[in-house]
Amino acid sequence: MVSETPEEAFVESIKATYPDAIISAEVLRPKRVSVVVKRDHFLEIAKSLKDEFGFTHPVSGGALDYPRENRMRMIYYLMNPESRFMLTYGVDLSRDDLKLSSMTSVWEAISFHEREAHEMFGISFEGHPNMVPLLLPPDWKGGHPLRKDFKGEGVEE
Amino acid sequence: MTEPVIEPDIMRISWGPQHPMSGQTRIIIDVDGEKVHRIIADLGFTHRGIEKILEKRTFLQGIIPMERMVMADTPNIGLGYVMAVEEVLGIEVPERANWIRSLLCEMARINSHLYAFGLQAESTGYFPAVFLWTTIDRAVILDLFEELTGARWSLNFFMPGGVHNNLPEGFEDKVVKGAQYLRKRFEDYWEAMVENAVFEMRCNDVAVLKPEDAIRLGATGPVLRGSGVAMDVRKDEPYAAYADIDFEVVTESACDVMARTKVRYREIVQSLNMMEQIACEMPKGPIRKKVPLFARSKAGEALSRVETARGELGVHMFTDGGMNPYRVKINSPTLRNMYVFERLAELDELLVADVPVVINSIDPWYLDSDR
Repeated sequence: MVSETPEEAFVESIKATYPDAIISAEVLRPKRVSVVVKRDHFLEIAKSLKDEFGFTHPVSGGALDYPRENRMRMIYYLMNPESRFMLTYGVDLSRDDLKLSSMTSVWEAISFHEREAHEMFGISFEGHPNMVPLLLPPDWKGGHPLRKDFKGEGVEE
Repeated sequence: MTEPVIEPDIMRISWGPQHPMSGQTRIIIDVDGEKVHRIIADLGFTHRGIEKILEKRTFLQGIIPMERMVMADTPNIGLGYVMAVEEVLGIEVPERANWIRSLLCEMARINSHLYAFGLQAESTGYFPAVFLWTTIDRAVILDLFEELTGARWSLNFFMPGGVHNNLPEGFEDKVVKGAQYLRKRFEDYWEAMVENAVFEMRCNDVAVLKPEDAIRLGATGPVLRGSGVAMDVRKDEPYAAYADIDFEVVTESACDVMARTKVRYREIVQSLNMMEQIACEMPKGPIRKKVPLFARSKAGEALSRVETARGELGVHMFTDGGMNPYRVKINSPTLRNMYVFERLAELDELLVADVPVVINSIDPWYLDSDR
């Protein structure tokens, strides 16, 4: 029998634990694992990723805009200090309802990255302790710059 | 009659945004007398929208804005982008090109750490001479860069498929000579600065970051290794030629400012060894695969990770089949360490005079955190 890598073992294990909540879980290449979950189970799985699967080291977070499909994807980059592979933990949001529970209750260091996603994409994170702009000026009125339909500061949409 | 509770008088000091030690940012320090009550990092003064710019450029054009993230460390930053492009376009790199990449990356790491080391000396207020020494000595590295690439700072030397030029004749010998010279100079640094009693007083047991806190707060690079956690992308998933190069992951167990300074010092020594090894064992062969100027990608994604001087850089590139990336997410090392810096005021007792020492111990580069 071919011995399985930590990445494959993780994917099988998380699929077995949350069969209904996971949209996709795959090993993209060695050291890269991608998991996409349903929004309703997003925080619950995040907690178990930290407590049971050992992803104690938060790396980053960011979003992606797909206006044609009317959705956005929020991605969190997480690392397990033992097995050392990069997990991208994604969740899809409808562009009409850009609300997500804040991940800061699980990994507090995600704070900066959620503030950035908030100003750049307009996703609101419920329960975030300090939702002020991170990079843009406090009086910025130009919209959300990293959205695909952003036309420039001061341009009315 | 009970005594009235005296609320601590909190005073707010704004440090910056005009160049507080290094780069443009504002550090807000709430102090209670001399004690630091809270630190707030007000970032964004140098936000240039690199992620948005990259969406509008072809894969090849993107190298130039990307490298502007950290001028002292352009090869490492550029390599993160180039590796992501190579993965989405499916390009293999010749072995010699990988070795040249590793050579430049290590030289840039020395250059960047020298700057950090000099600033650390300056920030204590006692060693302006060491800052001048490091500035003079980094010219050795910059001269080598100039001879190879024509540029001293922003090299733009890596491209998808390899590197721009071959090494000039006799370049390997000059690399070995430069490494030997720097190693000799480094003994002076150790005696003049690291072992100096004044420097020890300013840095020992200041801003202690325990290993579990470093992991929990997402620290990276020398900050994480200064807390005794041996995490280094070069070892965890070797890229370029690092699988064939001998080096050890430097860690220090003291977890304080001194530990982070020592990690940088010892990493420079490791990099000098690597420079010599690469110069002696450089394989022969082609330096570049031919790649079309306007390459078209398939729809997909690639996440590359490289260890820059400040820590792990991640470039997550999404493509939709066009000639430019659909989205590039840059996981910047300084942004992660700035969060750690904010929390340090709560984890350890800091005095207001410690703040410059502490912020230099995380080696911030605000162009990197702001992108």
